[in-house]
Amino acid sequence: MNERKLSRRDFLKTARNGLLTLSGLLGLGALVRFLSYQSQPPTPTEFVLGAPGDYALGTRNLLPQVPAMLIHSAAGFTALSLVCPHLGCTVEPQPDGFSCPCHGSRFGLQGQMVRGPAGKALTVLRVKTAADGKLHLFTN
Amino acid sequence: MRRLIVIASALLLLTLLGIAWQQSQRSKPIALIPTLTGKVEYCLTCHSDLPEISKSHPVKTFGCVICHGGVPLALDATLAHSTLRGGANPADYSVVQENCGGANCHSGTAASYSDDIPRSTTSIQDTYAGAIAIMRYTYGGQTNLKALFGTSAIQDPQSTSGITSLQKYDPKIETNPMLRLFGQNCLTCHLSAPPIQTGGRYDHFTGCAACHTPTQLPNLTSVNTKTATLVHKLTTAIPYTQCDACHNRGNYDLRTMVFQARTDSAVTRLQDYYQPIAQFTKCEWTLDCIDCHTRTETMGDGSLYSSKLDIQYIQCKTCHGTLTQLPLTRTLTDPNDLAFRLAQLNPVVNLKLGDTILVTAKGEPLWNTRVMPDGTYQLVGKASGQVFPFKPVMGSGCKQDPNNQSSASCHQCHSVQR
Repeated sequence: MNERKLSRRDFLKTARNGLLTLSGLLGLGALVRFLSYQSQPPTPTEFVLGAPGDYALGTRNLLPQVPAMLIHSAAGFTALSLVCPHLGCTVEPQPDGFSCPCHGSRFGLQGQMVRGPAGKALTVLRVKTAADGKLHLFTN
Repeated sequence: MRRLIVIASALLLLTLLGIAWQQSQRSKPIALIPTLTGKVEYCLTCHSDLPEISKSHPVKTFGCVICHGGVPLALDATLAHSTLRGGANPADYSVVQENCGGANCHSGTAASYSDDIPRSTTSIQDTYAGAIAIMRYTYGGQTNLKALFGTSAIQDPQSTSGITSLQKYDPKIETNPMLRLFGQNCLTCHLSAPPIQTGGRYDHFTGCAACHTPTQLPNLTSVNTKTATLVHKLTTAIPYTQCDACHNRGNYDLRTMVFQARTDSAVTRLQDYYQPIAQFTKCEWTLDCIDCHTRTETMGDGSLYSSKLDIQYIQCKTCHGTLTQLPLTRTLTDPNDLAFRLAQLNPVVNLKLGDTILVTAKGEPLWNTRVMPDGTYQLVGKASGQVFPFKPVMGSGCKQDPNNQSSASCHQCHSVQR
């Protein structure tokens, strides 16, 4: 059996190529990672709530993902933002309206301010039935 | 030459592997977009273990940077902390306006109950005007006790106290050596002073944190101050131990003007803790200081004063009345009453419209008290949550002198023997 002896030159060449290939792969991996980095997605301003029929007349539905309270009354759909107009804490629904756990502001069932420090009512959000037949809520 | 190329290739690979290893050791960045700022910050990457500082400042709403400063997008600790405002104490008075101020936060108007910074930075606890005046008077620096100097120059054009301004006190103006010593040694006990030491609890001994960031110590004295761990907490439920961390920390020797820190290890509050020369009624050693002393007494009312005695006005009769007059009360009919605000911050009582509470002579609500249906009264400890029923003096066998209603007079009969 012929045993091929690796020359010193071939060994160095192989080592060099191997090391450079590994370095290249590592560098390429870092480049791919850098280019594929997902920056923070923008805060959504439109929410698809599903079919209007999912929300019975006379109900109030909490939408924690917004956060908002969707109200279905005889006048149609409306929504109240649950972001406190004082400093932005999320207000909590109560039997008689909403209360802010941070600074104690109170709001009535329709979002009107009952007690400060919030200087104004909860923001009313736009809700409409879009062309797709679903309810869409807009926070902007 | 070929050997050099191989060595260079190996070094390159090692460097790249080193960088990859370093990257793998880093925590995955945790992004937070606080509702209040709407700007991403990565502080929670390292600080997600911190508890919420208070229910009024949830991190989801405030984030970290609005109160602490810092570089919000940095993942390297040194860079992230390079622009911190106030270091370990963002409530230090040197940075408090920037960190805690704002019309909707703590430097708003008196009408909106958000004037905490303007009140506390003109209060006697910050100006130290009373101590400076009394020392200068004692050692011949001035002829009366009216405050002329404070820890910083300050104006109060709308003064209701008669003090319209204070000059910054510079002990170098003094010729009396005792006053010079006072200046060297005794000007650390005010809220805008640099901490008397650094590290441990000392880092929180200035500004708002001096009171609102209490540290639970293993015993009643402050000997463990240096080693106590800082806590991430803001509260209005301030136990007496926090007040005493400054107000019962030891004594200044009036002959040498050198502070003698207490070194004892008190076990019981009444027997071991308080100065043996003082007299105390049961209220004074069972309640916390803030159960009686109001927000304007402790944090000022926005005016400059010459002495703490000019702003402290709570007396025994505030809660107990006199032989001829019941304590003042108010039935809560306004949902914006200050009582509700204060009770919301520290909900040891569930105040409702229609409740009747005690009020001070200035109309400040003692929101942790309640008039009970049988005409007796109840106080709930703001820090302890303990319920203390109490009765009015009227109708009792009290032999009080109607003209002497201070606690010193009540001590004649009601002090506890030690």
